[in-house]
Amino acid sequence: MEFELDEEQRLLRRTVRETVAKVRGRPERQQWDTYLKLGWLEAPPLELALILEELGYAADPTPFLATATWFAPLAGRLPGGSGTAVFDGAGRYVLDADRADEVALLTPGGVAVVRGADLAAERVPVLDPQLHVAHVDAPGELVAGVPDLALVGLAATAVGACRRILDLVLAHVRQRVQFGKPLGSFQAVKHKAADMQVAIERARVLTHFAALTIAEDDSRRADAAHMAKAAAGECQRLVFRHGLQLFGAMGFTWENELQFHLKRAQACDLLLGAAPVHRKALLA
Amino acid sequence: MMKLADDPQVIAFRAEFAAFLDARLPAEAEARVRSRSSADVPDWARRWQRTLFEHGWLLPGQPPEYGGRDASLPQQLAHLEELAHRRIYHSFNPQGLGIIAASLLTFGSQEQKSRWAVPILRAELTAALGMSEPEAGSDLASLRTRAVLKEDPAGDFFLVDGQKIWTSGAHDADVLLAFVRTDPDAPRHRGISALLIPTDAEGVVRRPFGSIAAEDDLDFNEVFFTDVRVPRENLVGPLHEGWRVAHGSLGHERTLLWLSYAERLEDLVRDAADAGGDQEWYATLRMDLQALRLLGYRQLGPDRDPAEISVLKLLGSEAVQSAALHALEARGADALPHPAPTGPYHHMNNEAFVSSWFERYARSFAGTIAGGTSEIQRNIIAERLLGLPR
Repeated sequence: MEFELDEEQRLLRRTVRETVAKVRGRPERQQWDTYLKLGWLEAPPLELALILEELGYAADPTPFLATATWFAPLAGRLPGGSGTAVFDGAGRYVLDADRADEVALLTPGGVAVVRGADLAAERVPVLDPQLHVAHVDAPGELVAGVPDLALVGLAATAVGACRRILDLVLAHVRQRVQFGKPLGSFQAVKHKAADMQVAIERARVLTHFAALTIAEDDSRRADAAHMAKAAAGECQRLVFRHGLQLFGAMGFTWENELQFHLKRAQACDLLLGAAPVHRKALLA
Repeated sequence: MMKLADDPQVIAFRAEFAAFLDARLPAEAEARVRSRSSADVPDWARRWQRTLFEHGWLLPGQPPEYGGRDASLPQQLAHLEELAHRRIYHSFNPQGLGIIAASLLTFGSQEQKSRWAVPILRAELTAALGMSEPEAGSDLASLRTRAVLKEDPAGDFFLVDGQKIWTSGAHDADVLLAFVRTDPDAPRHRGISALLIPTDAEGVVRRPFGSIAAEDDLDFNEVFFTDVRVPRENLVGPLHEGWRVAHGSLGHERTLLWLSYAERLEDLVRDAADAGGDQEWYATLRMDLQALRLLGYRQLGPDRDPAEISVLKLLGSEAVQSAALHALEARGADALPHPAPTGPYHHMNNEAFVSSWFERYARSFAGTIAGGTSEIQRNIIAERLLGLPR
């Protein structure tokens, strides 16, 4: 196998990074329109993973993740506006259900797509103020079934958030001086940073691999998606712990942007089953 | 380019080697004779290595005259994977082959290639690597063994004095590639040279000592040099440029270093499958193995930072250790007997001496200590990849 991004994929990653940095802070609607105009929603799985990693890095507030990786694989098409999907009969903790134009539901008779406005969706308050999560009162009987891409999308987003956390930590420990030396020169700090890097790289390659198995419809795709989701969950747990610890009291404040990324990464793990759930799925 | 399928050239290469192995693999009965150390090559293994050499399957990355076929890196990886699947080495003197012969082929003179490298490849000579010293482990630049160049009408020679330690297989080796200080006044990295020192030279004393696995598991050696005369023609590479030789010779080995962890991990995953009890750790192992392979393949791509090897070494060696620990714990008191009555021992296993889960766990520390400890790898990752201050 070959496992190196080609020139086009690297260019895409660069473009996404630059575009997202440019539109950050603008009204959500404008950001969303920019992504649509660039055709990012139509990207194939591996490219989608690269895009989502960058959106995760930027703590993107738009409904891109749910639309591209929840709605699209279940409905088999892109929605007219934004979309999401209900993966279990209970309709609990559905990403963006309170603001999606269309919602895909898996019923015993197949996938039904309903207008978001027709669903009674109630946003659930969560620690991450930017995250839209809602309980929906779905009509009729629903069955469970999570598409591989939905797991990979959450994994890629988490990896992006973890990279951001590490970058913030690195910038902090390089400039913060204690005992006459930058924090980053202390071995205890270096070792935590190195462990974060290893966890990120591990989750990242497993995510890329899972996206690739979806793109090539390889028989390992289900296992690969569980691995990616579990590894991203384990990664965020380590990065959350070390990241907050190394930032010290400053990381414990609302003013510091670290909190957004910590919460985003943690949420990606908790949605659609945290790491232990997917480790167990691998053993089944 | 990212794709799951192998390149057709790699597929063909792998198939050709697999067919060769299926036809020529040593019989299990003859392979029952174990190697005593990493420089001791039993007769059957000597024949096996020579067979590989003569058919271009020993170091396939080398040109044909040195037992290879100019294989690409992905092909070399396929070669090692096929050997690993069969749990056999291409050589029981891996350092002699992969580091010493390989660096002689890169840095040695024509005379050194034919006098030392080819016989090492043909398993007529075995070699050991003299790097570490009592006060120079990971901090290799602080090594103290001295070699003074003396002029002599009968031929210039180096006079070597000092000590090496952890020299794997030295007591069974014919020759050492030793790194010695030739210019005590130069900056630490500058004044080092690489010398071939025959082990039967007067003044060379080797003292093997046991590993944690057994008192008679003799691979480690202390090697003492007292006024050892080494002819000048045994200098490898330019005088005082040993640092370059050390890095060059380790470079190739390091590219595929992760594979040895993947092999062990795969063995552990396979052998631990029936461990019973709570098996969630087993899923983590499978993820570690998969991630290690993917990072390894990724590292074959162009423009990768060599420091990323530290990510692979750290992940791989720690995963092997945690795998061994979990397998041990899953067995509880049944893991105590040693050698194990029905252990994972396989007479063609790479892990020549492995026989119990306890021993596998103990031996897993070789990975987290040798070749730069996990702590050193973390420092490299933090400083070179993440840019933290030294």
